[in-house]
Amino acid sequence: MAGLLASGFAFAAPPEVRTPRLRVPFRALGEPVAATDVTVKLNGAPAKVARLLKPGDDLLLLIAVDFSGDLTLVDQARETLLKQIEALPPSVRVGLLRAGDDLRVVEEPGASRESIAAALQALTVTARPGLLNSLEATQQLADSIAAKAQVRVATLWISDSNVARYREDYTNPVVNSSDAGDMSRRFPEGLIQERIRQLSASLSRGETPVSLVHLQYLGDRLNTAYQTGLSDLVRASGGGGEFCRSVAEIPAAIEKAFGEISAQYTAEVEFRPSKIKRLDVAVEAGEREVRFRPRRRVPEPGSKKGSEE
Amino acid sequence: MQKAIEEFRVQSRRLGMVEGVAAQVTSTSRKSRWHGRLFENFRNDFLDAVPHEVAQRGGKKNILRRNQFGVNLSGPVWIPKLFDGGRTTFFSLTYEGMREKTGRSSLNTIPTMAERTGDWSQVVDPAGEPLPIFDPASTATNPGYNSTQPLTTSNLQYQRNPFPGNVIPVSRLNPQAVAAAQLYPEPNSTAGPFFRNNYFVFSPEVNSANGFIGRLDHTVDEHHRLGGSFSHSKGLDGAAPVFLNAANPGPVVRDRQSERAGIEHTFTISPQRLNSLSIDVSSDRITNLPETVNGRVYPNYKMGAYLPMGRANAELRSARQVFSIAEGYSMRWRQHRLRMAARWFRDQVNIYSPTYPEGSYRFGSGLTSLPGINNTGHAFASFLLGQAEFAEQSVVQSPSYFRRSRYSLAMSDQWEVLKGLVFSFSLGLEMSGARQEKYDRQSTVALDVINPENGRPGALVAAGVGGQGRTFQPFLCKGEPSLGIAWNPLGGTRTVVRASYGRSYSAIPVYSSQWGTQAFNGSPAWVSPNPQLEPAAILTATVPPGGRTFPDLRPESANNTIADLVESTGKQPTYQSFGLSLERELPSSLLLTVGLGHAHGRNLLLGNSASNPNAIPLSALEYRDQLNDEAFNQAQRPYPQYQRFNIFSSWPEGRYQRDAGYLRLEKRSSSGLVLSTTYEVSKQMDNYSGPYGIQDYYNRSNEWALTSSNNPQRLTLTYSYEIPMGPNRLLFPVTDWRRYIVEGWSVSGVTTIVSGLPLALRPQFNNTGRVVDTLYVDVVPGVDPHAAEQTPERWFNPDAFAQPADFTVGDAARTHPSLRGPGAQNHDLSLNKRISLSIEKSVEFSMVGLNFINHANWADPDTTIGTASAPNVNAGRIISSRGGRVIQLGLRYSF
Repeated sequence: MAGLLASGFAFAAPPEVRTPRLRVPFRALGEPVAATDVTVKLNGAPAKVARLLKPGDDLLLLIAVDFSGDLTLVDQARETLLKQIEALPPSVRVGLLRAGDDLRVVEEPGASRESIAAALQALTVTARPGLLNSLEATQQLADSIAAKAQVRVATLWISDSNVARYREDYTNPVVNSSDAGDMSRRFPEGLIQERIRQLSASLSRGETPVSLVHLQYLGDRLNTAYQTGLSDLVRASGGGGEFCRSVAEIPAAIEKAFGEISAQYTAEVEFRPSKIKRLDVAVEAGEREVRFRPRRRVPEPGSKKGSEE
Repeated sequence: MQKAIEEFRVQSRRLGMVEGVAAQVTSTSRKSRWHGRLFENFRNDFLDAVPHEVAQRGGKKNILRRNQFGVNLSGPVWIPKLFDGGRTTFFSLTYEGMREKTGRSSLNTIPTMAERTGDWSQVVDPAGEPLPIFDPASTATNPGYNSTQPLTTSNLQYQRNPFPGNVIPVSRLNPQAVAAAQLYPEPNSTAGPFFRNNYFVFSPEVNSANGFIGRLDHTVDEHHRLGGSFSHSKGLDGAAPVFLNAANPGPVVRDRQSERAGIEHTFTISPQRLNSLSIDVSSDRITNLPETVNGRVYPNYKMGAYLPMGRANAELRSARQVFSIAEGYSMRWRQHRLRMAARWFRDQVNIYSPTYPEGSYRFGSGLTSLPGINNTGHAFASFLLGQAEFAEQSVVQSPSYFRRSRYSLAMSDQWEVLKGLVFSFSLGLEMSGARQEKYDRQSTVALDVINPENGRPGALVAAGVGGQGRTFQPFLCKGEPSLGIAWNPLGGTRTVVRASYGRSYSAIPVYSSQWGTQAFNGSPAWVSPNPQLEPAAILTATVPPGGRTFPDLRPESANNTIADLVESTGKQPTYQSFGLSLERELPSSLLLTVGLGHAHGRNLLLGNSASNPNAIPLSALEYRDQLNDEAFNQAQRPYPQYQRFNIFSSWPEGRYQRDAGYLRLEKRSSSGLVLSTTYEVSKQMDNYSGPYGIQDYYNRSNEWALTSSNNPQRLTLTYSYEIPMGPNRLLFPVTDWRRYIVEGWSVSGVTTIVSGLPLALRPQFNNTGRVVDTLYVDVVPGVDPHAAEQTPERWFNPDAFAQPADFTVGDAARTHPSLRGPGAQNHDLSLNKRISLSIEKSVEFSMVGLNFINHANWADPDTTIGTASAPNVNAGRIISSRGGRVIQLGLRYSF
């Protein structure tokens, strides 16, 4: 697992080039970016951009759905997804995954929009949300694909998850109702915050940006902590999160997520491993607003993780 | 791209994401999918501040040793060689235990040592003036009494001599009372004023609890999923004794046990249709474990403002079970989401609760007063003479087994009318059966049945007897509509307007009480013919003779008692609410919500302090001192055969209205800050609430006043912040060993600031011949009730109010329209430090502080208004504050 998580540092350079490379996906909204406009800094020092995969190049988009609640929201999301997938250019291959009891492949990535549409139409809601339990696996899958192939890879989560419906007890329910002096539930968000921090540590080893469209903004304290945590997670990955407060907002939110994914680039920069295990990453693309994963972990020098391919 | 797709296939199979392909898992990796936590929360008094209310009395901190600990484990079910739940069967188990040793403190008033011997020579009234104690044995009719003139010290109806030197001779003291008085501890406080607040209690209490929750989830196939849960908890509520003997009036040691179980089946029929079925059972049992002498609990003696002896409900066994079956079906049809739901509830309450098995005696000041003259006599003096103004005994021969069924049907539709406009509508049918008793052992007073003893309406009827059905209330069926709109104006996504309307009903609960079984379990009562002239009972070693035998199904069997009255018209509490809000996304991840709300309710269930269907009309006050004659007084009641009715929080007469506006601002930032603040302005009025009760039961519009618990302004702030310290962070970006110290800190907090509650003023004396239970004060015209400069010494101007004249009601409102108590604020904080041991393992240290800045909130001022001749010196003054910092340390290991 650790090897896959760290595979973002795979050395994808041609054999004749000895300098290892680091893939740095980023999203730049607005006008297309030329390679000469892109500046990548690692720990404050500019790194040489050896290759830049741009919009128009191959993109493998993994759409993961996590439907466990309101049919109205699900149907609206489904309809919008169908429209957006239909509008994607042929260079984009779409795979469909489903969370729930576990992460499952619903449709392998392919060129056929019809088969994806059929799979989406046949999707049912599950009894329990599975987003938190599936984020790591999706990240592993996406990162390993990016490490093997010269394509851009992105993941998009569509979820209506409510923290109270998970199998795990993130709600910290009262066990002993007779215990009048219980202070441990005064701040009930502790458990979900702990899980988010755990996920954050795990996902920080990855590479692929994660986008999330949450279909139902919930304002209670636990869900606020949950959704804020999700928002932080996807922003830290270089992706973005949208939280819909009404059914009417779902189409725009999904459309926005597709727009950001379409504007995803991957820069391959030359990188010299050192003893420093963490990397500060900065990406600039002229005047454009850029989203990227600002912190990366560095694999052990000379380890298998850093010498794949 | 092909290479990418190939890798997708390889990795998705390797990770077990493909149907029918097992993940490459081993027993180790199976176990690694088990997650959980171990935790310990620790409290000790050395961490806490001395509560302000204790510090003001010179007290010390109560002892506190508290440990709360537990474990949680969840993941796929895997039993080696027996069962591998793999990706279909999951469990979650949580155990939590608690051990606590603590102390409780309170300040009370008990008789002085001199009073216990009958020496009242040093006793003073609230104004500091000598309090005369009169000898009831010297009572004589005053031949010069002029009934056309007000009763005053110069125009007495009855003459009575004070005890010489204000000392009751030893020979006159009741032996039972003297023996009981010896069970009072000695006074140990001089908090005062005037010998009041003379007993500071500080006693230990031991509590414990153990409980667990287990859950199981199983996916049968693509369409069927099953879930089950079970929980059990057993706790022992220790009770800090107020006295260290059987006369202890404090709470009883209580054993609590509860269980919950449920199963749920979810059937996904198709992407557009979903069915769910759930069955739930809950059980809560309470058993009191009282101190006894020779197997008997101590009688209950009530003596005005002094601490009572003995207690109510010392013996109690209660079990409450709720069964429910719920079926729900959801489907999507065009732009509609339809949902149908049906639910059945069965409530069961088994209860054995003799309130006063050894009798309860109430002593008033009347028998040692100068009849008709305020501020004379004392309840404890009457106790020393053994002369009770009221006595009762609870005779409970068997437990009660109450049953009730409820049903609900609901249909809802959510319809996207236009792009950006969603309309939701639901209509529910709430059906509620009436309470039954398994063996028909319940009864009530029927107000339309003629009482054979006096020929007046109102007689006892028993369930299943004489044509009476098994219940006393009709089967109720009410429609509950609701409407809602969510609108994104102009198709935008930054603004949402919401509007809602709802109407609902609630059923009368099945209380854990043996109320309504008077024909089978009664409370024979002894009532004084005139509480100023004759005792109801003389205190003896046993309950006075004359009790009834049960069952007693005679229509007149509840006569001369406080009779249980069950509401039988079918009126149900009804609630309606309207809401309108606007949510607007602002730059910088801000979300602003502005809202208005209106809610009102009627037929709200009231208790005995707020409703009295057998109250004497206020017009009877014209009879003045005649009202002290019990027979005359009783004759004024609409149902004179009854003392009053016990309606047990079930009389549907309350009404309220609440209007509120609020503004909420939420901020979520990627820098780890979450902030939410809500400011609310509200006004709530009702015709029942208050700390003391109401004055006029027959004219509810006169009682319409500010709700006593309404804070007109409330500001709440919740926040959570990941402190940016450590590598790659803003502060202390160290990367060596020091990062283990500086990284992983977070802070969460809740701050609440509220304005004060409406003040309820009451007069020192209530000389209304027991016509008015709760007397309001008079307003003094032309005097501003607000203090010119508000300070704790003078929070309001007591001169603006006056004690009403005898046999008149006060003209002030139940709660004052503009006088409010001091506001309050509270600040709770949680500081956490997380140490990551590996990707999945971590240790978190937490410190939770309630009122962490140790802020003292002022208590409400003294609102008791005395007479002009004996004013309450503390009226309008705040004499105490409350609150204190409480800290809990916690350690959690997550894996």
